[in-house]
Amino acid sequence: MMSEIKISLRRVGKINPLSIDDFIKEKGFEGFKKAITLAPDEVINWLEKSGLRGRGDAGFPTFIKQRSTATSCYTCEARYVVCNADEGEPGTFKDRFVMENDPFSVIEGMLIAGYAIGANYGFVYIRGEYYDSINKIKNAIQQAYEKGYLGKNILGSVFSFDMNVYLGAGSYLCGEELTLIESLEGKRGYPRIKPPFPAEKGLWNMPTLVNNVETFSHIPFILENGYENYASIGTAESKGTKLYCVSGHVKNPGVYELPMGTKLRELLFNVAGGMKEGFEFKGALLGGAAGTFVDESILDVPMAYETLKKQGATLGSGAVIVVDNKTNLKSMMQSILSFFKHESCGKCVPCRIGTTLLNERIQETKLSEEDLNWMLQQAEYMAKYSLCPLGQSPILPLKSVLTYFKKELV
Amino acid sequence: MKKVKITIDNKEIEAIEGANLLHTSRLNGFDIPGLCFHHRLTPTGACRLCIVKVEGMPGVVMSCTLTVKEGMKITAFDEELETARRHTLSYLLAEHNEEYDGTYYDEMMPLIERYGLASKGNRPIPAFWHNIPPVIDDTSPVLTYDSSKCIKCFRCIKACEEIQGKGVLSFAERGITKYIVAGYGKWGDSECDGCGECIQLCPTGAIVEKPNRERIQVQQIEKKVVTTCPYCGVGCQIEVWAKNNEIVRVNGLEGVLPNDGRLCVKGRFGYQYANSKKRLTHPMIKRNGTFEKVSWDEALDYVALKFNEIKQKYGNKALAGYSSAKCSNEENYLFQKFIRIAFGNNNIDYCTRLCHASTVTAMIKAFGDGAGSNSIEDFETTDCLFVIGNNIIETHPITATYVKRGKARGQKIIVIDPKWTPLVKYADIYLQPRLATDVALLNGMMYHVIQEGLVNESFIKERVDGGMDTFAQLKEVVMKYTPDVVEKITGVKTDIVKEAAIMYAKAPTAMIATGMGMSQQTVGTNNVFALIDLCLITGQIGRDRCGINPPRGQNNVQGATDVGASPVFYPGYIQVVNEENRRRIAQLWNVPFEQLEPNPGLTTLEIMDAAHDGRIKALYIMGENPVITDPNQLHTIEALQNLEFLVVQDIFETETSAYADVILPAASLFEKNGTVVNSDRRVLRLRKVIDSPGEAMPDWKITNEIAQRMGVNIGQYSNEEAIFEEIRQAAPILKGVSYRRIENQGIQWPCYDEQHPGSSTLYKEKFNTENGKAKLFPVEYTEQSEKPSSEYPLVMNSGRLLFQYHSATLSRKSDVLNAYVNESFILINPEDATKYGITHGQKVNVISPRGNIITTAHVSDEVLPGETFMPWHFHESAVNALTRNEKDPLSKIAPFKYSVVRVEAI
Repeated sequence: MMSEIKISLRRVGKINPLSIDDFIKEKGFEGFKKAITLAPDEVINWLEKSGLRGRGDAGFPTFIKQRSTATSCYTCEARYVVCNADEGEPGTFKDRFVMENDPFSVIEGMLIAGYAIGANYGFVYIRGEYYDSINKIKNAIQQAYEKGYLGKNILGSVFSFDMNVYLGAGSYLCGEELTLIESLEGKRGYPRIKPPFPAEKGLWNMPTLVNNVETFSHIPFILENGYENYASIGTAESKGTKLYCVSGHVKNPGVYELPMGTKLRELLFNVAGGMKEGFEFKGALLGGAAGTFVDESILDVPMAYETLKKQGATLGSGAVIVVDNKTNLKSMMQSILSFFKHESCGKCVPCRIGTTLLNERIQETKLSEEDLNWMLQQAEYMAKYSLCPLGQSPILPLKSVLTYFKKELV
Repeated sequence: MKKVKITIDNKEIEAIEGANLLHTSRLNGFDIPGLCFHHRLTPTGACRLCIVKVEGMPGVVMSCTLTVKEGMKITAFDEELETARRHTLSYLLAEHNEEYDGTYYDEMMPLIERYGLASKGNRPIPAFWHNIPPVIDDTSPVLTYDSSKCIKCFRCIKACEEIQGKGVLSFAERGITKYIVAGYGKWGDSECDGCGECIQLCPTGAIVEKPNRERIQVQQIEKKVVTTCPYCGVGCQIEVWAKNNEIVRVNGLEGVLPNDGRLCVKGRFGYQYANSKKRLTHPMIKRNGTFEKVSWDEALDYVALKFNEIKQKYGNKALAGYSSAKCSNEENYLFQKFIRIAFGNNNIDYCTRLCHASTVTAMIKAFGDGAGSNSIEDFETTDCLFVIGNNIIETHPITATYVKRGKARGQKIIVIDPKWTPLVKYADIYLQPRLATDVALLNGMMYHVIQEGLVNESFIKERVDGGMDTFAQLKEVVMKYTPDVVEKITGVKTDIVKEAAIMYAKAPTAMIATGMGMSQQTVGTNNVFALIDLCLITGQIGRDRCGINPPRGQNNVQGATDVGASPVFYPGYIQVVNEENRRRIAQLWNVPFEQLEPNPGLTTLEIMDAAHDGRIKALYIMGENPVITDPNQLHTIEALQNLEFLVVQDIFETETSAYADVILPAASLFEKNGTVVNSDRRVLRLRKVIDSPGEAMPDWKITNEIAQRMGVNIGQYSNEEAIFEEIRQAAPILKGVSYRRIENQGIQWPCYDEQHPGSSTLYKEKFNTENGKAKLFPVEYTEQSEKPSSEYPLVMNSGRLLFQYHSATLSRKSDVLNAYVNESFILINPEDATKYGITHGQKVNVISPRGNIITTAHVSDEVLPGETFMPWHFHESAVNALTRNEKDPLSKIAPFKYSVVRVEAI
């Protein structure tokens, strides 16, 4: 059955995450071994044909990023692979699940990516609060070195790869790729101007590939089992499986790996066991704070990038925060807007002042129609003129909550 | 610099490819608003006001982040953009305290006006800034920070980091409440050195200058004059503001060399001396031990009378003059003319003899020119910078900003200094040799150059006199300086000596900066010869961004010699003994050829020695303070007391003027027109800003009056320009320079005619020697004649600090500078401190064979064990009471860098 296929979580419960030997027994590094028999650009071709899209948030086709990082700047002395494990989007907890249960898959994915783009250094940027993930990834790296899967001339090939872990320090914005790179360089987390993009000028001005944990955990599977296999899962434009993070008053909240395009109804009422006793489904916030609210009208829409986009919703990180009949939506919006204000770095005018204004306004005891329209206007202005995705986000939850649940706010 | 065509709002513009789009648009009349952009900084993209639409790019783009590309089509102004800009400004207004007191330039106000937001009723967003507790930092001596006015544009942070290379400022907190901090918190506790770059670049009143703030209304400053900074040899171009004949502010002038708007704390805030109440205002004659105010006529007549008297009684050779590095070229020229015609001898010299005498002497012998071979901009772009005996960050701050920017681009820096200096933080290699062992170290480096096969033989064959033969002679000497020998003498480990030698030799381009550490020694000339040898055998000279440069200490120490204030050179570095030139000059000066003394005169310290043993009877001092600046203070004082007649012409009473018979009040550099020459040979304009106090007169007029009253004609000049016109005739290297040509930016000599653009790099075709080739001078290491003993176990080094200046006559009149540093100290290594029972902060007696002084001990590992360091600015602990006046045989300089001392706790 389709719902049986696991990619990121295929080894969960089958291995000790602290044991590289267990990992190897469960087809560990088979993907990498396959990759090094191909030419680096051929590896990227496989990723192209697989249809793999970035699992961080934006769903950007991975092969495009890899190809442009590989072909950027022939004279640059180094290229870097960075794993974005900063997992800051509220309601998202999938990356930690992968790192805590199968950290080696992340390493293998980075190895393949490094090979494909001609990089010899990799960094895993993990949010500082994820103590367990940090320990497990560090341990995985150490064991990989010991077994010769990291370091010079891996498996006797010409390919060498070194890896290191770098910790985040409490900034949501450092999950944005250019801000992450600033932080990796030891600087304060401010988003850079784009262009140039990381593929062209990233870490220390060298071409850099930044991908999410989940994305990297998919790459070995593709190499191991072929791109056709991967592309046979999912929808027309969103291939493979997705880790959905269900939270809220459902019977079984948690991380679920299902084929891309699984319907919300299936996810919530089958897999997550439906609503808890005494709670009625009202809707969900998809994609986290920088995501969109939906109501029951979306229950039968496949949860994939293109299908949700058609409905004006976002898949984002795959977070599904269930909203029920007892949820105070105004309070939820207050929480979301105060989050943005708190996390705003303050560099650009629209976001620095805009998030402050939105936060202030949503705290008003009574919100009128004008207030809500005014807030929407500010969020629209911010979406258009902010420097980075943070300022561009408040419009998403705001607009969607007003579309579906306006009555609850006025 | 390719020119391309772009279109802005349907208008075709010619622009430079790769130039910043916002800056280009503005230069072409498209006044796109922006607050965080400044053309001297990297673009930030924070204020979101400079939005434009670009054909082929989605949405809107910040024009400050784009560069000009052929065929670009831009929309700079349309309804959507203007509406968005207005909205952005209204956002800014909500977080910004717009209270304005007129004491600074506010860039936001005109934009508010322009977008119709001036009236509070018109504003869509209600203000909330008053709900955010403001952070006000008033702890810096030079500025105040008010976060309520801050628009978080990053300009100050970038100014500090990118322009000045200091990186002291950053933001604290995040989001709407963030504010600027210096260091970890309070400005006054941080490493901020008061350069004021942030003040100059802040677009609102968040960072404002403190001095004189209550008295300034920027729209009502009646006088703004561009002139040259009166302090060091960088020669920064400044815009001075005056109100009611008082200087109230100094800004850096952007867009011109050498400083492009940058200043240091002295240049920006050290002007207070000009209007000090302690200025000399009247001529004074000493009668019965006290100074009495007299009229100019009385004073000048008396001076002329006495000079003539002494000439009659003792002959021409009994008189001498000290010219001034703090006076203009015109004044120095006239002074040397005076000495040569009115005194009839060549006994003219000045503080250069105490400073770069060794450097200039060695360089002239080797290259034919005694000035730096490169330009200040090259400090940023050269591949390898070799800094020896030069605390460039403290003594030449603006040159150091170029160095730091070079470092940020990957420049390699080698620092050699017995004492730690701030540049060591930026150095790739730091060598810390024992004091006075430089010849051994440099010969040791040449040993490695030869061993590693890095000698540039083609350069030697083409451009060095005697080619490989003279090289062989040098090699014979240098190969004796094996690693063991060198390590034993200098204390520096072989591997880094070798690394430094290789780094310098292999660099595609390399520049040397050499300072007092090398020059102020009894072996100073030899030191520089060794340095020149290293430079020549590696071929690191005679090309762009290659050469050897002495950063000059005073704003006109270079110019004074250029125009002839020298016992051995006439204007333009033509030797006194050159008869043909003397004939030419005699004609120019309209005096009989026979009247001009054919033999070289006495140098500065020789003059003082001659005064001491009675050969010199009269001394005319202009703008010099030898009691503080000359070595062996007791000897100096005895010498001055031994004179029959001493005239001191200055702007303040000094430690030297106390011994004068006549004191003549002169005009400061802010009170006269003229020119000066900086470290990279640039002739720069001086312009009068304020009138002199009381009856003080420009130095050139005083000198001229004395001559006239002596019955001697040294020329009639209606103004300073007329004097400069004569200088052009006298000195071929300055012939092509005129006031008109340097109206906007100075010109570097040699400049032989009006079409000549000036010379940024010397020796590109040939050296200035007779056969056009440079000379090698092999030298051996010699020990100091004075050595540590049980009675005097330590060696004392001396030098300068950033915040005070030389004998501090000027700088200690500044409240700002005094707030930073105003006390003497001696640096002692922790090992020695323990040995001699001295603790940090303790008062100590420092004793040398010449005398003793009291100062405060600072225990520090900036100096090696066995060595100490004192700044010489503080007259109450006069370092020269301890130094000796032994001389370098060639340059006649004294070893300010090496005196044996004993330090005792009090």
